Amino acid sequence: MQIKVEDLKYTYSPKSPFEKVALEGITFTVNEGDTIGIIGSTGSGKSTLSQHFNALIRVSHGKLYVGDMELHAKKVDLGKLRQSVGMLFQYPEYQLFADTVLQDVCFGPLNFGMSKEEAESRAKEAIELVGLNFDEVKDKSPFELSGGQKRRVAIAGIIASMPQVLVLDEPTAGLDPRGKRDILELVTKLKKSYCKTVIMISHNMDEIAEYCNRVIVLNNGKLLYDTTPRELFKDVKALEGTGLTPPHTAKIASLLANNGIIFSDLPLTVDEFVKAIKGGIAL
Amino acid sequence: MSAFSYENKTPIISVNSVSYDYRNSQGESIARGVRGIDLDVYQGEFVVLLGHNGSGKSTLAKLLNGFCVPDEGSVTVAGIDTKDDLKIYDIRSKIGMVFQNPDNQMVAAIIEDDMAFGPENLGVPRDEIEERITWALDVVNMSEHRKRSPSKLSGGQKQRIAIASVLAMMPDVLILDESTAMLDPKGRKEVMDTARMLNCQKGMTVILITHYMDEAIEADRVVVLDEGKILTSGTPKEVFSKVDLIKSAGLELPIASKISSELIALGYDIPFALTDEELAEGICKLKSKI
Repeated sequence: MQIKVEDLKYTYSPKSPFEKVALEGITFTVNEGDTIGIIGSTGSGKSTLSQHFNALIRVSHGKLYVGDMELHAKKVDLGKLRQSVGMLFQYPEYQLFADTVLQDVCFGPLNFGMSKEEAESRAKEAIELVGLNFDEVKDKSPFELSGGQKRRVAIAGIIASMPQVLVLDEPTAGLDPRGKRDILELVTKLKKSYCKTVIMISHNMDEIAEYCNRVIVLNNGKLLYDTTPRELFKDVKALEGTGLTPPHTAKIASLLANNGIIFSDLPLTVDEFVKAIKGGIAL
Repeated sequence: MSAFSYENKTPIISVNSVSYDYRNSQGESIARGVRGIDLDVYQGEFVVLLGHNGSGKSTLAKLLNGFCVPDEGSVTVAGIDTKDDLKIYDIRSKIGMVFQNPDNQMVAAIIEDDMAFGPENLGVPRDEIEERITWALDVVNMSEHRKRSPSKLSGGQKQRIAIASVLAMMPDVLILDESTAMLDPKGRKEVMDTARMLNCQKGMTVILITHYMDEAIEADRVVVLDEGKILTSGTPKEVFSKVDLIKSAGLELPIASKISSELIALGYDIPFALTDEELAEGICKLKSKI
């Protein structure tokens, strides 16, 4: 499912003393199959932008197409939209509310009009997909689970509706290293099935470098870059003034460049870095 | 950063063979906390506790200030046993804790009122409370926010206020329990800079619990917990060079350590690196040798 953003603008509390322009002149396209990272410091407009994708914030200026839906139109089929675009907020484990894990995960599908049987079979599939044992957790209270497990239940609740687009707002924040890796591997797995397009907000540049094929940089509500991580992080100075720091591999590469050791292709992961050294870059 | 000297130092916190389980109201154990922990923390030391979720880090922190008392063994803070109910407030005034979510730790609508809460409860006279607030806000570089509401602050600023509120109680030890977990990179840096400054310039003992390996690099000592036990401890270099052990504890190495350990395994003659700078230097030296 393609998403097209054209000249999007959004202002909080317009025509009041608290007026704040959050987004201005944002234009870009997300293609099916993209894993696109949205980065920027706190207050740059990342969350405001992502909330447009499933009409939690309505388009007030500009155009926004999600598949064949026009979100800038007066009437939008919100049910259809929200089933197509799954949204995972920051710390989604705080949104768990039901008595049991099964009930919590079924909530979305039931609200989209599925029968109880269908919702439960979707829930079973989703819970297993996120790496939990269905029979073990289905009757447990979500509040008995560990932090990483809770977050996976929250994700299951979203993917149970089988969205084609997944919007993730800081999906790994606050998790331990193992929990982080689990979530990112889950996203990679989902991309191979029905959820082909992923939009990911993150402060972790190492993650963006490793998992995203494209990256959008927001700064003070404006789109600063729309490029690939390899292009973006090539020039460590490019991010100056945005409050962002490049991933470690890019930083090491730039330290080496100062000493005359130049990578033809910027390494974005540990594996790529080691391979480049093996290939004789430093020797 | 100069190496911490353990010579002629006495521990401010002593944990001796401590075990602790979480129990239900019938006294039955429902979850493992920690098992057989021995740990001395010295005045002025910067200690980082690492471990995956459920490894016992936070339980250990709660044992240090008497939130939990050991089932077995003992914890002493400046010579006071945490089991001594009559002296529990002495212990609490020596150990300040800052948690993950600053919003859970703010009690008042105005920052200076929030900061006065701790010292007021310790019975500090009003004039002195004023002085302490002025001092603590200055330390965390937030003086201009004194009369403002905490709700208008960024995450990093809120955590610095939480630290200042703890400082106003003049503790000997500052425990940061995943205090950087919810912050963006800028906020994390603010909190880490504040913690390091307190440690280096004010001689404050700092115990930092974190999932960010980068934050462990500059510690005097890193302690890794796994399944409620101390798996290993030592300087960051000693600990992170045990590559397989770190992985088995569900942790990750800093990126520079990952790369350097893989290169070393491939036979390259470079030193094990913790920071990006060390790794770059190692690779440059390798090149100049050839």
